Amino acid sequence: MFYSMSYGSYKKLKMQDTGKNIIIAGVGGQGILLFSNLLSKFYMKLGYELKISDVIGLGQRGGGVESHFRYSNKPVLSPFIKAGDVDYVISFEQTETLRFLHCLKDDGIILTSTYELTSTSVNTGLQKVMPGCKTEMIKRSENKKFIIDPDEHKSPDFNINKMMNVVMLGYYAELRGYSHDDMIQIVRENVPEKFVEGNIKAYEKGAAIACTELVAK
Amino acid sequence: MKTCRPNLDVRIIYLFLAKCYKTYSKKYEKVKESFYNMKTGNKIATMKMMNGNEAVARGAFEAGVKVAAGFPGTPSTEVMDYTQQRYPDIYCEWSTNEKVGLEVAIGASFAGYRSLAIMKTVGLHVAADALGGAAGSQINGGLVLVVGDDVGRIAGDDYNDVRHYGNMFNIPVLEPSDSQEAKDLMVRAFEISEEYSTPVILKITSVTCKTTGRVVIDEDYTYEVKCREKYPVSFSKVIMTTIMTKAKGSEHPKLTKCFNDFPAHMNRLAQDSNDFDINRLELNGKKIGVITAGTPYYYTKEVLPEASFLKLGLVMPLPEKMIRELAEHVEKLYVIEDGHDILEKNIKDLGISVIGKELFPKFPEMMRFTPDIIEEKLVPNAPKRTPLEAVPFRLPVSCAGCSHLFISRILKKHKIKAAADVTCGLIGCFPHMESYSLQKCMGSSIALAHGYNIAKDNKENFVAMIGDGGFWATGINGLMNLIFNDSKSTVIIVDNSCLAMTGGQNVASSEFGFNYKPENKLDIATVCEAIGVKDIVTVDAYEFENLEESILNAVKAKTNSVVIVKKPCVTKFKLPKDTPSYIDQDLCSKCRKCINIGCLAIESKRKNGSVEIVINEDICTGCGLCSTVCHTEAIKN
Repeated sequence: MFYSMSYGSYKKLKMQDTGKNIIIAGVGGQGILLFSNLLSKFYMKLGYELKISDVIGLGQRGGGVESHFRYSNKPVLSPFIKAGDVDYVISFEQTETLRFLHCLKDDGIILTSTYELTSTSVNTGLQKVMPGCKTEMIKRSENKKFIIDPDEHKSPDFNINKMMNVVMLGYYAELRGYSHDDMIQIVRENVPEKFVEGNIKAYEKGAAIACTELVAK
Repeated sequence: MKTCRPNLDVRIIYLFLAKCYKTYSKKYEKVKESFYNMKTGNKIATMKMMNGNEAVARGAFEAGVKVAAGFPGTPSTEVMDYTQQRYPDIYCEWSTNEKVGLEVAIGASFAGYRSLAIMKTVGLHVAADALGGAAGSQINGGLVLVVGDDVGRIAGDDYNDVRHYGNMFNIPVLEPSDSQEAKDLMVRAFEISEEYSTPVILKITSVTCKTTGRVVIDEDYTYEVKCREKYPVSFSKVIMTTIMTKAKGSEHPKLTKCFNDFPAHMNRLAQDSNDFDINRLELNGKKIGVITAGTPYYYTKEVLPEASFLKLGLVMPLPEKMIRELAEHVEKLYVIEDGHDILEKNIKDLGISVIGKELFPKFPEMMRFTPDIIEEKLVPNAPKRTPLEAVPFRLPVSCAGCSHLFISRILKKHKIKAAADVTCGLIGCFPHMESYSLQKCMGSSIALAHGYNIAKDNKENFVAMIGDGGFWATGINGLMNLIFNDSKSTVIIVDNSCLAMTGGQNVASSEFGFNYKPENKLDIATVCEAIGVKDIVTVDAYEFENLEESILNAVKAKTNSVVIVKKPCVTKFKLPKDTPSYIDQDLCSKCRKCINIGCLAIESKRKNGSVEIVINEDICTGCGLCSTVCHTEAIKN
C-alpha cells in the first residue's frame, strides 16, 4: 500500500489535476491549521501554486475555524473560495460541515467526521437546537460523501477525537491516490518530535479506514 | 553479433532517455522552487510559503530595520513574533501600550535608524497623539507603522479603518493584497518615509495577515542597518504651522531653522505616485473599470477577468492622473474597497464620479467583500447559493479552567455590580453569564468604576475587574487617579502572567519575554502598594472559598482595595490537567446552572430524544468550578 512517487508520476499527476479548491473546517483546537500546513507542504513539493486563507474567529474559545485551501497550476487570485466553487469540504465537526454544504460544486466531495461539539450558543440556550439529525442531513446531500465516525475507530494508541486532522489526512491521501511515504515524511518533518509516533499511527489508521471503505464501495 | 546489435542500441537509447528524463524532472522541480543566475548558475532567490504577518517581518528584515516596538492586537500580533523569532538582529519589544511603542519607534527613527511600530487599528487610537506628533516632522531613519485592520470583524473587533488616520494627519498609507506585496511594500514604505520625510502606515488586514502565499526570498541577503542623520532637530508640526501662517515673529532665523515644509513633501508624493510601480493600471475591457486595493483586487480580478483595473499599492495620496486615465477608458467606474468608503470619498473629491457604497452598502449590510458579493452585483445571472439557515453560530466562551470563570461566577453569585475590561474576562458580559454590566476599552474598567462610584456618592461599591495586560497598558493610570482622588473602589486584577487574548505575549509582570530579566520584572502587588492602595490581597483562583471571601471582604471594606487573582493562563502555559469531571445523569436535574458558568467543556447533547448535560472529557481540566454550582451534587470528579 505504501509507495513513494517518482518525479515522473508527480508530473503525470499535475497534468491530470490542474487544481482544486478545498475548505477545511472545524472548531478551535482540532488542528485545522496543522492539516492545511501539512497539505500545503505536499502540494508545494508537487510544484503547485497555493493560497491558504485561515479564518479564525475566537477559535480557542469555542469558535469555528475555516481554512480556504486553493492549489492550482496557474497563480491563485482570490484567497477566498466563492460559494459554488468548492471541490472538497473536509470537516472535523459535523455542524461545521453543514455550514459549508452550499459552497460545494455539484460534483464536489464531502469528507467529514461525525464528531460534534455542540455550539456554545445552543448550550447556553441563546439559540434553538438545529432540528433533525445532523449526520442524516449530511447523508441526504446529493454530493459524494465520505463519513468517518470517530466512535467506530477508537484506537488505544491515540485519542481519535484530538487526532482527527491527521486521520483525515491519511483518508484524503488514500482517496486522492497520493503517496503515503511522502505524506508520512511530511508529517515527520512538521510535527513536534514527541508527537510524531502518535501522529503517524493516526495517519496510518486514516489510510486504512479509507482503504477498506473504498474497496467496499 | 548482428543479432544482438539492435537490442543493445535500443537498451542504450532507453537508458540514455531515462537518464535525460530523470535529470530533467529533477531540474523541473528545482526551477519551480528557486531562481538561478543564468550566467553563473548561482541560486539568487527561493520561494517560501509565508502568511502576511511573516512576509511583513521579512520585509522589515530586508529593509534593515533596527528597532521594532508595539503592542499585541489581532490580526497583526504575529508580525512581532516572527520578527523576533526569525531575525534576532532586530531589537524587538512589546511596549506597555501602543503609544509607548510608537514613541520608542519615533525616538529610534530620530537616532537615524529605520524603526517599526506594530499595532492594530484600535491600538492606533491609543497611539494617535504620538502619530500626530510625528506626522509632518523631520524624519531621519524611516518610520513605518504596521497597523492591522480587523476587516470583517473576524476576531470580533470594532469596524475600524486605519486610513482615516492617513486623511487626518496627511500621511501616506500603503496596502498590500498578498504576502509577496506585503514584503515588497514594507521595504518601499521605508524608502517613502525617508524620501518624503513622513511616517508611513502599512495597512494590513485580517485577510492579508492570515493568508499564506508564495514569496520570493533573496536567500543571500545580508542584514545591514544604515544610520541616516539628516536633520539635527525634529519638532512637531506646531512650529511649522506657526511659520506657515506667518504668525508674528515667526520669520526669526532660529525658528525657520526648524522649518519642514510638510505640505510640499506630500504634494510631491501625490505627483510622484502617478509613476509608482506599486500603483498598477491594467487597461482591458472598456465596459467596467475598477479602482481597488488590498485583497478585494483579487476577488474582483477573479470574478471580472475582462475588466480594467487600477490596483493601488499606495492608497493615500491618490494618483490622480492614473484615475483620470482609467475613468476616460471605461464606461462604468466602480470602487471596491474593504472597510470604510475612504477611497470612494477621496476620488469623488477629485470630481470623478464612481460607484461605490450605493451599490455595495457597507456595515451592517456587509462585513467585508467576498468574491460572492462582487459576482452577485456585477455579473448578470450569476447563480446564487444560500447557506442552510438553521446552522447555529458559535458564541465565544472562556477556555475550560480559566481563572476568569471563577471571578465571573463569584460576582454573579453575590450580585456584585462590576465593570469588565478588554480581557478574556469580557466574555462574562455575554447574556448567558451576565456577570458584568459595563465594559468599554482596554484599561478602562478602573476609571469607569471610579466614575460610577463618585457619581453615586460612594454609596455603592461598583467593582472594577481588569486583566494584567490591561492594567499595565493604561489601567495603572486609572489606579493612580483613583488613589489621589480619594476613591473607595475595589479593583480585581486577574494576573495570568501574559496577554492571554492575543495568544500569550509578555507584559511587565511576566516571567518571560524578549528582554526578560528576573531583576527587571515588575510586581503588581508592589506597584499597587507604592501607588498607595490601602488593602491588597493576593489569592489563587482555584482556591474558590478563599477567593470568594477575599472579594467579599474587599467589597465591604470602607477603603480602596485591590484583589490580585493569580493563575497562569491555561492555554498559554498548558497547565497539567486534573482528572476530568463527569456528570451523573441519574442525579442531574438539568437546571443548566453549570452551563451558564460559561465553560467550554460543558455541553448539552441530544441523546435518544432527550437532552443530556455532559462534560467533554477532552476539554475539561478538572478545575472543579462546575461542582460548586451543582445543587444535586451530580458533578463528580
